[in-house]
Amino acid sequence: MAELVVSRLTKEFGAVRAIDGVSFTVADGEFVSLLGPSGCGKSTTLAAIAGLDMPTAGLIRAGQNIFFDGESSRFVEPEARNCGLVFQSYALWPHMTVAQNVDFPLKLRKLERKERKRRVDEVLALVEMTHLADRYPHQLSGGQQQRVALARTLVYRPAVLLLDEPLSNLDAKLRDRARSWLLQLKEQLRLTTIYVTHDQVEAMSLSDRIVLMDGGRVMQIGTPKEIYEAPANPFVADFIGTSSFFDGELTSAGATGRVRIAGDSEIAVAGTTRIPVGAPVTVAIRPDRLSIIASGAGAPDEAGTALHGRVVSRSYLGGRYQHEISIAQTLLRIDGPYVLEQSEVHVWVPASSCLVFERGASRPRSAVRH
Amino acid sequence: MMRTEADALPTLARESTGVSRYITRSTAIQSAVVAATVILVFAPILPIFYQALIDRPLYDDGQQFTLANLTDLLQSPNFWSVAQNTLVFAAATTIIAQVLGTTFAILIGRTDLPFKSFFAELLIWPLYISSLVLGFGWFMVYGPSGFVTLWVQSQFGEAPWTLYSITGMSIVAGISQMPLAMLYGLGSTALSNPQLEDAARSCGAGPWRTLRSVTLPLLMPSILYSSLLNFTIALEMLSIPLIFGEPARIGFFTTLLYTQGISTPKPNYGLVAAGALILLAIVMLLVFLQNRLLRNSQRYVTVGGKASRPKTLALGRWRLWALAFVSVYVVLFVILPTAVLFLRAGVSFLSPFVPFWTLFTLSHFHDIISFPAYVRSIVNTIIISVVGGFGATFFVAMIALVARRSKFPAADKLEYVAMIPRSIPGLVVGIGFFYALVLLPPLGWLRNTIFVLMVAYTMRYIPTGYGAISPALVQISTDMDRSARTTGADWWTTVRLVILPLIRPALFSSFALMFIHFFKEYSAAVFLFAPGSEVIGTTLLQFWVAGDMGRVAALSTIQIAVTVAFIYGIRKLLGVKIYG
Repeated sequence: MAELVVSRLTKEFGAVRAIDGVSFTVADGEFVSLLGPSGCGKSTTLAAIAGLDMPTAGLIRAGQNIFFDGESSRFVEPEARNCGLVFQSYALWPHMTVAQNVDFPLKLRKLERKERKRRVDEVLALVEMTHLADRYPHQLSGGQQQRVALARTLVYRPAVLLLDEPLSNLDAKLRDRARSWLLQLKEQLRLTTIYVTHDQVEAMSLSDRIVLMDGGRVMQIGTPKEIYEAPANPFVADFIGTSSFFDGELTSAGATGRVRIAGDSEIAVAGTTRIPVGAPVTVAIRPDRLSIIASGAGAPDEAGTALHGRVVSRSYLGGRYQHEISIAQTLLRIDGPYVLEQSEVHVWVPASSCLVFERGASRPRSAVRH
Repeated sequence: MMRTEADALPTLARESTGVSRYITRSTAIQSAVVAATVILVFAPILPIFYQALIDRPLYDDGQQFTLANLTDLLQSPNFWSVAQNTLVFAAATTIIAQVLGTTFAILIGRTDLPFKSFFAELLIWPLYISSLVLGFGWFMVYGPSGFVTLWVQSQFGEAPWTLYSITGMSIVAGISQMPLAMLYGLGSTALSNPQLEDAARSCGAGPWRTLRSVTLPLLMPSILYSSLLNFTIALEMLSIPLIFGEPARIGFFTTLLYTQGISTPKPNYGLVAAGALILLAIVMLLVFLQNRLLRNSQRYVTVGGKASRPKTLALGRWRLWALAFVSVYVVLFVILPTAVLFLRAGVSFLSPFVPFWTLFTLSHFHDIISFPAYVRSIVNTIIISVVGGFGATFFVAMIALVARRSKFPAADKLEYVAMIPRSIPGLVVGIGFFYALVLLPPLGWLRNTIFVLMVAYTMRYIPTGYGAISPALVQISTDMDRSARTTGADWWTTVRLVILPLIRPALFSSFALMFIHFFKEYSAAVFLFAPGSEVIGTTLLQFWVAGDMGRVAALSTIQIAVTVAFIYGIRKLLGVKIYG
């Protein structure tokens, strides 16, 4: 067990830079997610750590063991890295039974038969697959295959556990169950783990820290709480917890700032000291703390702004309604238990849910995400 | 869970070597495979170039480079008639094979012809048998003193055909190459989407109109592709030109190489090499065309090739006519040549005017088994087919694994090299390896062994095996190897324990294909065999030259019997279907 260090890692496919100077560290026993939209470079990074792809430049190190060093063009073959990789497709060998699949890595390590049997039994018990040990992979459900795939990597105590979207081939119900099971397992094993996913819920609920990536670069590294509450840029704000965006100009800074947006209205925003007054800014609004208020009155006792808008759409999501409200040419999405019958509403926007970013920083790919 | 220090696993030995290692067991194996492939493929080609460009046999001293061999060949009075004969023969053969093959493919693949699978099996049969044996069968039935020829002469005074003409030879060759065209057509009809035909029917086209306007055009790519294959095979065919062309003094490229290089006491090395070079150039051009054609065939790829069973076209009142046509064809051209061959093997003399049951004898078989060289040729052929077929399958599997499943530099180029033998005629392969052995005296001891035949056959059939193995390999997700690698297996262990077991069915069919091809191969052997390394094909030619038709028939019967036994055995044992 060791810390894993990835430093200035770059991978080019021809003229395309799939990852561009990615650096992060995973502490011993830490569970870190690589999170980002498809094509952000997270799987390429994982493949580089496992040794399945040769990076163009950079350094990968597990403890004192240097896996890859672009300077000295040192490259350790995947089989010599002692990483455990769980594939999105599970990649169970169809000609071997569950027990044979799990036994394979132990055979390679030339353990005695008795010792192998003990370890296989132990790890199959851990993933609750003992009763299916003699089945072949095609006789198992997706969830069961995934457990076997995990058992096959846990059985040889990898220095680093790598999980490549392990839940993405399961249906929604099964995915929730598998996620909480993974969480238990993580608490129990405390392995140095890198978890690749595009699903923010998985990343948030499982990870000690998250490395958020986009376009081959690291956007932000932090605990789930830090990433959610203090996104480093509009992309992060947008990717984690759907945000709506207004462009405007910072008119005052301090404990509570103010931003003038289109239509000459001003909104109160969370305090900022880094951005000079007068700078063009983007305001990201988290939808979960917005509320509908009666016109003018009933403003909660906090800094904020009441914005006037038009209801554009109403959809029933089962147990709650989602409304899209057009304010200053931007769509705000608000969930609530009741349907809004009126066509015009006032929305209370607390200053603390409005994060300000100087424009020119990384832009979100689209204003509204689903 | 259970982590204590005492519980720690032994680290893999490889891990401890600090530096990244450029030479490992895996890269050594990969390099060996690449080197072996390159050497094997170019070994027969380069000596031919060399011999074609020097002024004396390649084993003589004082060689001078010269273009005289080529200019002599091009200026010899025979050359242009030989070229013309060869091209006309190849073209006519191809047309006959394609017309028949396409007709049968449609009848069997798309209509309600009765007893379809029975007929399909019989129609494909010639593919399993050497064209040498087929040629002998035809000779005994329809040759100048053939069984049917004599009978027709006795009834009508004259038989209205002769096989001693380019037309006659083209018919024999066309019918023996028909199965290839049929197989490609059947493959295409099996994949085609029946909805395309339904669509034509629903907008008002009758069955024949649908056939002409939809079914046939969709078959075009397979027809074109198999035409080029058949044209190439006809160009490089030795058997039928030798059996029917030589007696009639009709010269072809292959018979020219054979007579100038083998059946003359003073072989003309320069001329043979120049002729081989020209044949090589023509075939290479044709294979290049095949590849071009395949690349542009997207236009015809039918969408949604599902496993849905295509609805068949009802033939209506034509059904009985079609049945009659197929039955007559099968009886006259598949059953009769084989049956008469069997019959001839068991009688001292065969004629329609003498009851054959009065002439039964086992003497031909007895002659064969009592002469060691003849027995040896049978044993050699079986050893070559089993051992060589096994070795070739393994070698081709390794080529496919390195080309498709390794990080070896330029692994993708390996596939191109592996496909080169497609454009080298069997006779040229034999000549090339023969020259290579002459050029490299240390390898001279190989000359009298069957090992050199296995090597030459392996080289010749790399593309055939590759075609059976590579698609299976593509079907297997690379995650299978990647997961084995990350759990600690190096490339070679991954190949042995994961990939090869997964492609076992493809390995079996590759072995079956190799066995059949090795068993019937003769053209690569005629230049390479020596006393001690005879094979059935070369012994057959020896009997033929001596005019001993009884032994020709008996040995042909043995060859067919072993082939039948092998095909049914492997079907029962391994469930391998060799074609389709």
